[in-house]
Amino acid sequence: MIVLRDLVFDYPGHRALHGVSLRVEPRTITALVGPNGAGKTTLLRCMAALETPYAGSVTIDGLDTREAPRAIHARLGYLPDFFGLYDVLSVRRCLHYAARAHGIGSAQAAGAAEAAAARVGLADRMEQAAGALSRGLRQRLAIAQAIVHQPAVLLLDEPAAGLDPRARRDLSRLLLELRADGMTLVVSSHILAELEDYSSRMIIVDQGRIAGGQAITVRDAAAARLRLSLAAPHDGLADFLARQPGVTVIAADAAGALLTLRGDAPERAALLAALVGAGFAVSAFAEDARALEDVYFAQVTSGERKP
Amino acid sequence: MNPELLRNLWLEASPIRLALIAGLVLLVFAAASAVPPQWGSAESAAQVLYWFFVVLWGTRNAALSVVAEIRERTWDGQKLSSIGPVQMMWGKLLGSTAANWFGGLLCLPPMVAPVLAGQGPRAALLYAGMMLALGLFAQAAALLSSLMLVRRNTGNWRLDTFLCQVAGIAAAFSYFTLWRSLDAFQTSGAETLVWWGQVFNLRAFHLVSLMVFLTWALIGCWRMMRAELRFANGPFVWLAYLAFLCVYEAGFAPWLVHRLHLDAAPLFDTILRLVMAVFTLTATTYSMVFLEPKDPVRMRWLGEQLRAEHLRRAFLALDAWMLSYGAALAASLVLVALLMARGSPLVLPAAALPGFLTRDVAIFVLVRGVAQGKGDLAALAILGALYVLVPLILRGAGLEALLALFLPRLGAPPLTVIAAWAQGLVMAWLALRSIRPGIREKLKAA
Repeated sequence: MIVLRDLVFDYPGHRALHGVSLRVEPRTITALVGPNGAGKTTLLRCMAALETPYAGSVTIDGLDTREAPRAIHARLGYLPDFFGLYDVLSVRRCLHYAARAHGIGSAQAAGAAEAAAARVGLADRMEQAAGALSRGLRQRLAIAQAIVHQPAVLLLDEPAAGLDPRARRDLSRLLLELRADGMTLVVSSHILAELEDYSSRMIIVDQGRIAGGQAITVRDAAAARLRLSLAAPHDGLADFLARQPGVTVIAADAAGALLTLRGDAPERAALLAALVGAGFAVSAFAEDARALEDVYFAQVTSGERKP
Repeated sequence: MNPELLRNLWLEASPIRLALIAGLVLLVFAAASAVPPQWGSAESAAQVLYWFFVVLWGTRNAALSVVAEIRERTWDGQKLSSIGPVQMMWGKLLGSTAANWFGGLLCLPPMVAPVLAGQGPRAALLYAGMMLALGLFAQAAALLSSLMLVRRNTGNWRLDTFLCQVAGIAAAFSYFTLWRSLDAFQTSGAETLVWWGQVFNLRAFHLVSLMVFLTWALIGCWRMMRAELRFANGPFVWLAYLAFLCVYEAGFAPWLVHRLHLDAAPLFDTILRLVMAVFTLTATTYSMVFLEPKDPVRMRWLGEQLRAEHLRRAFLALDAWMLSYGAALAASLVLVALLMARGSPLVLPAAALPGFLTRDVAIFVLVRGVAQGKGDLAALAILGALYVLVPLILRGAGLEALLALFLPRLGAPPLTVIAAWAQGLVMAWLALRSIRPGIREKLKAA
């Protein structure tokens, strides 16, 4: 659905993106993470056809952002990191305008505005001025404006920034609902812990490049992510694990590993037995809640070590 | 209804605001009727209010119609909408100034009534049309300026808005002054004007000219809006505008010949028209090279397209200043050829002029490249030094003969051509070097 090929973007004075290539599958939620200034926003703006890349290409549904930016605009919704609203207008008028501006006829605009408001939980605040809404509600209104025309692709830049825990949870639910309705979402975020709630893949952007060169599977319902620690280091751990059925090694060294295991409790018990049987001094073997953070820091740190 | 116009009407033309404007206008008219005639009349009060509503305040609102969207971070959303450039332009131009036009239209009848009573319906219609076109011209000029400044991304919205407002007011005021000066012309018996050999009524020609320039201003707004909405513009409309400017001005050549008692030989007539075209194109090049962003990244991209022989793609992406510079160069070349054929001594300054133009344009690009996207005022200061300070110093030192090395002068020696082009080529080479990546870091390291 979204394909980036060797994308290069220059600002006067520095290169923001260095030949980024990636593919975002339809009906997925892909998280873009990375340090400040890594190039996440530039990447999203290139995807939204708001910026023209220096070299390389971005295609959405086969349409090139350089050749057909307006056709792409019609297919997507975009929420920038710092967004604005027409504070004087009511929620109804904001959404009505957004609907009309996205080509929805005047007869259908009122219905589209109602539907978008209901989707984000603003149906009971239609007559309230946008400027009178709380931060969380403003965020919802901005998302409602971005989805009022039911786009195929939704790009969200730091949508959870500044939200309280409840608003964040609501946001996660909303993103999952939108994916279930067939949307493809790309979400840039700093908050790794929440990515697991809604995203299926994570792309780490660091210094204008995709760290590790590819997307990382965040969560797979059929494969638990496990952390394995050894009491005594063993150089053969990674090779041993790679040979085991259903195992995918995410990261490993002599002291331990992070892996996914396809299967359930019996498969887990079998793997543990195989490890112990092969002479590995297993000190810990459990599902890992901090895995994303570890992968993130491993990738970003290795990026920093590179010249 | 155009959704952008509708949204602007919601924001700008609230019933309370319209009622306040109507109340203010009525109060002023009542006051003007109550005071002694020598203090003022309803007509003069209406004129002042019209200028206030439509020109002074209207240009500000027109300029803010895009600048405020950027300031309030709603512009990205608009760029991603399905609203086309024509709808967006009219929606902003008329919507953001809806309240101003409401006030202006209330003032129009008292302004036109004395003309109707004194000169008849035709004159009244002309006057009303002129005032409406004048207001729209001022607002279009302000919107156009704001769209140009948006591309420069200065980040100083207050100054930007003020400058755009000044541009709009200046456009309206200069035109209005010319309109008023026609009375003096007509008093002296000059009621007609010759343009391309045809005789026109002065006032009608003036009004048609306003309409034509208003149309160009609107075309400019439309094209800038297209660029903002990510449409590719191409060079042809700008080239057509340059051609129009040259043809429009060249139409006055016989009138100039007559007024200045010059040699009216056909070849000289052609040369005069070409000289006017060269000056027009040169002035346009200076204006556009100052106003346009000269983004080093974009220029690098253009260079790569040329190296890869993607000539069509590069040509379609040329900036207005590049096209103006190319047109000025081409017109200068033809002028030099004609002057040489005639054996005119003007050939030397004519050949030097494009060299100096090359140097000056390159200074803008060079400073912008070194400063990574800024530095136009520094370039302007350098040119100021070249054209003002250097002549002062040379004159003071009794070296006036050397002036021809730095600026085009009549009666200059052949060396002026060599000096102009040597400076032009060196600066052009430096300018091309400056758009390379990392030039600033290299300069710092050096």
